[in-house]
Amino acid sequence: PPLFRPPHRTMLDLRSDTVTRPTQKMRDAMARAEVGDDVFGDDPTVTRLEETMAKVFGKEAAVFVPSGTMGNLVAVGVHCEVRGSEYICGDLSHIVQYEQGGLATLMGAHPRQLTTNADGTIDVKAIENAIRADDQHFPRTTVVCLENTHNKKGGKVLPLAYVDEVGSLCKKHAIRLHVDGARIWNAAAKLKVAPARCVQAADSVSVCLSKGLGAPVGSVIVGDEAFIAKCRRLRKACGGGMRQAGTLAAAALAAYEEIWPNLAKDHETASDLARRIDALDHYDVRVAPETNIFFVDLNVAAFPELNAKDVVQALRESDIVAIPWVGDSIRVVTHHDIPETAAGEIEEGFRAAALSLTGGQ
Amino acid sequence: HPHPPPPLHSMWDLRSDTVTKPTRAMRDAMAAAEVGDDVFGDDVTVTKLELLMATVFGKHAAVFVPSGTMGNLVAVGVHCELRGSEYVCGDLSHIVQYEQGGLATLMGAHSRQLTTNADGTIDVDKIEAAIRADDQHFPATKVVCLENTHNKKGGKVLPIAYVDEVGALCKKHNLQLHVDGARIWNAAAKLNETPARLVRAADSVSVCLSKGLGAPVGSVIVGSHEFIRKCRRLRKACGGGMRQAGTLAAAALTAYEEIWGNGEIDADHVRALRLANALDALPGLSVQFPPVTNIFFLNINTEAHPYFTVPVVCELLKENNVLTIPWVGNSLRLVTHHDITDQAVSEIIEAFRTIPWYE
Repeated sequence: PPLFRPPHRTMLDLRSDTVTRPTQKMRDAMARAEVGDDVFGDDPTVTRLEETMAKVFGKEAAVFVPSGTMGNLVAVGVHCEVRGSEYICGDLSHIVQYEQGGLATLMGAHPRQLTTNADGTIDVKAIENAIRADDQHFPRTTVVCLENTHNKKGGKVLPLAYVDEVGSLCKKHAIRLHVDGARIWNAAAKLKVAPARCVQAADSVSVCLSKGLGAPVGSVIVGDEAFIAKCRRLRKACGGGMRQAGTLAAAALAAYEEIWPNLAKDHETASDLARRIDALDHYDVRVAPETNIFFVDLNVAAFPELNAKDVVQALRESDIVAIPWVGDSIRVVTHHDIPETAAGEIEEGFRAAALSLTGGQ
Repeated sequence: HPHPPPPLHSMWDLRSDTVTKPTRAMRDAMAAAEVGDDVFGDDVTVTKLELLMATVFGKHAAVFVPSGTMGNLVAVGVHCELRGSEYVCGDLSHIVQYEQGGLATLMGAHSRQLTTNADGTIDVDKIEAAIRADDQHFPATKVVCLENTHNKKGGKVLPIAYVDEVGALCKKHNLQLHVDGARIWNAAAKLNETPARLVRAADSVSVCLSKGLGAPVGSVIVGSHEFIRKCRRLRKACGGGMRQAGTLAAAALTAYEEIWGNGEIDADHVRALRLANALDALPGLSVQFPPVTNIFFLNINTEAHPYFTVPVVCELLKENNVLTIPWVGNSLRLVTHHDITDQAVSEIIEAFRTIPWYE
């Protein structure tokens, strides 16, 4: 159900980094943006964003899309443009879990889902074994998809060496490597490397601008010129051909300038919060966050009254919004609208929520 | 291929009404918009736009989408959600001609394409004859699609009685009626009727906000609650679930007040007619038929002046700051919109006047 912000307080929204609101700088950039009809290729601000993002990720070209879902749908859709294609991915990937199966239902591509490790990787050996031979019983493997950072595994960063290794494997078998880089910015910030280095081995990357980076809308797909030309075309078929989209691109360019340099702060905030919440009797944070995501388990052994749904409801009393997660846990995601200074308040909110349910001290 | 540089600010762009740029008021609205995560349903400005558009079109609900193409793709996609569905439409419809066949390639829906009349209609008796019986050889007809105004036929307005008649036929055969209302605003302005009246018989409408209305991005689909709920879901699968989209919705809300509210669409029609009349009087040019709304086709007399092919004429016009689009045969399509002011019309006429026709 929709939330309505109370007039005099900003809610502490820990549901996702997608909730970030545009800053004043972004709003000003949107108002001033020079625009044109992007379907005609006439929007200089969209063009500037695309050129910038291509450079940042070390690829030849980029195309702006309205969402990360469209980023993956179109990129992998192009890799699987020939009917009868198969893509290899992790069973817990966002593509498999949260994109409505669009690659199958809309693009006719078959997913080969491999077991995801705790660190967000899928075994290189398993990938190699999954690559199809040329046989009439088999679809044709065209691409391997990795996710960095890995959402469902809690914002895990894929090691550079691992991504490079998968890239080599793909080259050896003449298939492509696509990285779902919805949170690639967090990976790069964590590893303290250039974003381009993280995806050096990839043929294509889908990069979100509306998550940690804070832009109001959109993602970009980056890749080589020919591939991006096909993406642009498939984007149109999907209904992603927007007109004066420079209004949105301007905000994204401003976000890159304003938010990207400080993204690592979100990781510090997450670490701090995780420590504080873990220290409370009612909660356990079993895995310390690598980036801006962690899961809070409930100490039901000591406090059987606790359940995620009720805790989340109780958190609302302290103007904190969170999401119940797998295994009756609570997912916490930090972003630039969660200031470091709010950590104490959030800790207090978690404490109060638990107490209201357990009726204890 | 690298994009050519965008046209200069001083160019008069008649290629389409999609080129309209956001006004100062729209830009201010965008900057000030109260926003939230629309995927979570938390963007009050998007919600406001959707409720308003539903009301304006006399339907129960609406969903904001990034483009008219997604409007049709999702709406008709929902009508055809059952595998093996068929939709009846015109052979010259935008859905058939200009949407990359997405309803087939992405949604698996089959189209039954009927001959389009000069006035943009498809014959009612032919629609009825096209409706499939229940037989294993046949897909299942689910929906009839009309287009108002009709783009390829030159901005033609469908008579209200016609749309009502097709609606009655659909009801009789338990089918849905979808209207591609990319330019429904132009139709309503022309008929001097409320937008709701025009689409009363329709189950769903796809309405563009970024064409004549002038918003930078987007369309809305309007329909019943249940239908729109399904559209919202299919929109997500297509990648149309945007986050703080209130930034865009704010511009659209302003556009509705500023452009629709001030009768700017009517002004576009008046200017189209003035322009067409003036150009028709010039040598070497003839208007195929007077514009009914904001679109017309201009024939270039290449036969009498073989050097002056459509590309040559377009280039000459471009040098004089006028952009047009080559169209079928030796013709150009011209489209007026709020960025084509009265002053612009005068300058455009002058630009055409300077074409140095010679043998």
